[in-house]
Amino acid sequence: MGLFEKFRATAVTYEALKESAGRDPFGVSMDEMKGPTRAMVEGKEIVLAGTNNYLGLTYDKDAVDAAKDAVVASGTGTTGSRFANGTYAGHRNLEHELAEFLGYKHCMVFSTGYQANLGAISALVQPPEDVILIDADCHACIYDGCQLSGAETIRFRHNDPESLDKRLSRLRPDIKGKLVCFEGMYSMFGDVAPVKELVEVAHKHGAYALLDEAHSFGVFGDNGRGVCERDGVLDAVDFYTGTFSKSLASIGGFVASNHPELEYLRFSSRPYMFTASPSPANVAAASAALARLKGDQSMRKQLWENAHRVYSAFQQLGFDLCAPESPVIAVKLDNREQAFLAWNFLMENGVYVNLAIPPGTPNATSILRLSVSAAHTADDLDIVVGAYTALSEQLNAAAT
Amino acid sequence: MSGIRQDDDLVFRKICSLIEPLNEKGVELSRETDLIADLEIDSVAVLDMVMDIEDFYDISIPVNTISETKTIGELVDAIHEIKKEQA
Repeated sequence: MGLFEKFRATAVTYEALKESAGRDPFGVSMDEMKGPTRAMVEGKEIVLAGTNNYLGLTYDKDAVDAAKDAVVASGTGTTGSRFANGTYAGHRNLEHELAEFLGYKHCMVFSTGYQANLGAISALVQPPEDVILIDADCHACIYDGCQLSGAETIRFRHNDPESLDKRLSRLRPDIKGKLVCFEGMYSMFGDVAPVKELVEVAHKHGAYALLDEAHSFGVFGDNGRGVCERDGVLDAVDFYTGTFSKSLASIGGFVASNHPELEYLRFSSRPYMFTASPSPANVAAASAALARLKGDQSMRKQLWENAHRVYSAFQQLGFDLCAPESPVIAVKLDNREQAFLAWNFLMENGVYVNLAIPPGTPNATSILRLSVSAAHTADDLDIVVGAYTALSEQLNAAAT
Repeated sequence: MSGIRQDDDLVFRKICSLIEPLNEKGVELSRETDLIADLEIDSVAVLDMVMDIEDFYDISIPVNTISETKTIGELVDAIHEIKKEQA
């Protein structure tokens, strides 16, 4: 029984919260998908407003056709790793397409975005001579990459170049390699990093900059290349990591770089070498979605218009919003109990969003994370804004 | 009754002053106090509290070190060690 005792306290809290809310926010099943923004849940059609489907390409005809053709031509799975029998022409082509789109010389495709960060960080940094500096709010996969590397890891204050500068200045002189990790847009609050300043501080101290644009690829920049494109420092980033499971509507991940040594990771990165490569259908869908993203700027325009509509409506309703306007719109609630109830209230009103509660959320906040998609129709957004309007009335009534 | 056990160590006192606002249960703070088990402080909140200590003493405390310390006393010792190294 010794293995399970550590879960007990959390399990008890979780059970109580589930019971009071009347539904399990972490066990929702989309019983039947009805398109990029709708699903049947418990017999009722729900608007999906807690996804990462920013460009809404999950049902794009080109991507669906490409995935179908790839299954027929190349089979359902590769049954092997990139390092062995799992590299097909599709994997190589996608690496070239991504490198070309971003303007980097080299690119490696991984099986998930999580593994791209895990694989890049754990292979690049080696204890005891190397050190990693990470933004305090970095995603779990960056933390896990640090842990897998075993190297000394120092956090700097979220989105704070001065805090990074101080920590880089304090490093022992015998440190050889320094890797600074941060993200373009942060997934929970939707806040954006001062990418230019962070890259400058990193380089001032002879450190490499690893930027994760998982949530900002396809969303920011004139061509959708991310926050570093918007800030004009795309070519200054040492390692650009991303995912296929958000704007590219598939699953998989990548690391791009101008350093030719990136290729060394192919025989030294364990999360690259010891897992099956992404399936032909996943690769083909990502490739087709990338082609759509390149050729059509209107999806990004629609995404931002939708974000603006929801964000300004929430501002008018007086919600406590976690960040300036972006496609991720997080509302801060008073505590976990209130957040659970509010989440269930939105479900009852036909809207699915993500619930995030401590431990693990920035500043131990309880939030409802909404993400907007370019595929959200005016009808979808009416339902979303309607549900939040009712929620706001409910919260105000409870407060008085 | 909440309180801080008598201790002349300035690092101990500094840590206690940073923990006090998070000590919702009013546990008496001593070197033996376990940050997560006794105080039920969120693990991320512990990391954030450590960042205040870093800036106060102008030192860097690696995440690796924090995950190896459970009690206030262990954290105090780790900080003394790092202060010596980074002085």
